[in-house]
Amino acid sequence: MVDRIAVERLGGFAGFGGPGSHLRSRGEIEIDRLSAADRNAVDALFATRLARSTPTPDAFRYRLTRHVGDAVHVTEVAEEHVPAALRDCVSDELA
Amino acid sequence: MLYCTCCIVPKDVLDRFANDRKLSAELRKAAANSARISDSLRRQRLQAGELTALTHAAGAHLVELAAAPKVTVYDCKNTQTLPGTPVAKPKTAKDGTAKRTFVETTAVANFYKQAFGRNSIDNAGMTMMSSIHFGTRYNNAMWNGTQMVYGDGDGKLFVDFTNGNDVIGHELTHGVTQHTLQLAYSGDAGGLNESMSDCFGSMFRQWRAGQDAKAADWLIGHDIIGPTARAKGFNSLRNMANPADKKALAPQPTQYAQITSGMDPHYSSGPPNLAFCTACKALGGKSWEKIGQVWYGALTTSGPQPAMTMPQFAGRTRQLAAQMYSGQAMVAAAVDKGWKQVGL
Repeated sequence: MVDRIAVERLGGFAGFGGPGSHLRSRGEIEIDRLSAADRNAVDALFATRLARSTPTPDAFRYRLTRHVGDAVHVTEVAEEHVPAALRDCVSDELA
Repeated sequence: MLYCTCCIVPKDVLDRFANDRKLSAELRKAAANSARISDSLRRQRLQAGELTALTHAAGAHLVELAAAPKVTVYDCKNTQTLPGTPVAKPKTAKDGTAKRTFVETTAVANFYKQAFGRNSIDNAGMTMMSSIHFGTRYNNAMWNGTQMVYGDGDGKLFVDFTNGNDVIGHELTHGVTQHTLQLAYSGDAGGLNESMSDCFGSMFRQWRAGQDAKAADWLIGHDIIGPTARAKGFNSLRNMANPADKKALAPQPTQYAQITSGMDPHYSSGPPNLAFCTACKALGGKSWEKIGQVWYGALTTSGPQPAMTMPQFAGRTRQLAAQMYSGQAMVAAAVDKGWKQVGL
């Protein structure tokens, strides 16, 4: 299996991905397809615990699950921290 | 100008990238630029907090300085760059989204003024600033601490988020909450924060329609549901009268005891939404005339309470209902009935 990042968009005004929600927003991107800048940015997201700032009301959050070989790492970050390539890989759908 | 598309990683990491000779000049420059933008955003958040505290302390004097808020609209032209290009005359704009945003935002200002005697978001005439056409097929609307932001929807699950005047009332109320109770966005306080926006967003929609509490549908987001979601039988995002409604895209708990730590505020707002709706229907009449006044009192006369719990808020509304309507016991009884409905 190729190295990849699974992306899930959560929250927002509509409450995507909530416990009873019918709204899901998910996608996946191969790490090799990211630019060098985006790979560096993703590395930083997983390597460093971001300072917890006051969340923006109704803003999206992103759960990123990075699969590299057999290793799986998960982090959750505010939309403003997520590179556009990852933000744009999700599709909104009814679940 | 703020660039929401930038990737804001911790400043120490950006600084490290900016000075890393192993990286290309282009990457080092990008990291340095990101560090500057990150700094700017942090400063803006700090300034917003300081401004909130200042206007809270000086409020009464500032109200006299600005009698009514200015309403401005910006066009992001499907980018995620804020605030976008100013719309010169939004009141007469050919773009229906710009015109609607101006008209409904102005109406929210009038609603707060006429129903509650409040002068804009900060009660000091703060400019009400909105950015429209944010992102591409963007299924969201938000308050970013200083302004409203609206997406066009994907045309399937959602249509233009400005189509819902309750959405506009909801987002502006996040600003009001920021300038009053200053509720956090997690735990009980987070659920209350969302509920305040749903309660005042719904009241605004009822006020625009001239509806009383019994005629209102108490749906949130009814007017932004897209054709694909409607075809599947969904008619709203949330139903304040029945938070567990299967026709809602995001059904919620109905009891305070169902709330656990870590829940999304859009989920945990179910019980306080139901309490408010139940109180309004029990009393009858227009929601903003009495029960809305009690909720507004709890929102604006308690001082900053970032960690306020739902039981504390319930207690405050019971106290205010008894004080504000001492000769009308049915008001306090309706408030009591609302909270008992959700186990508080």
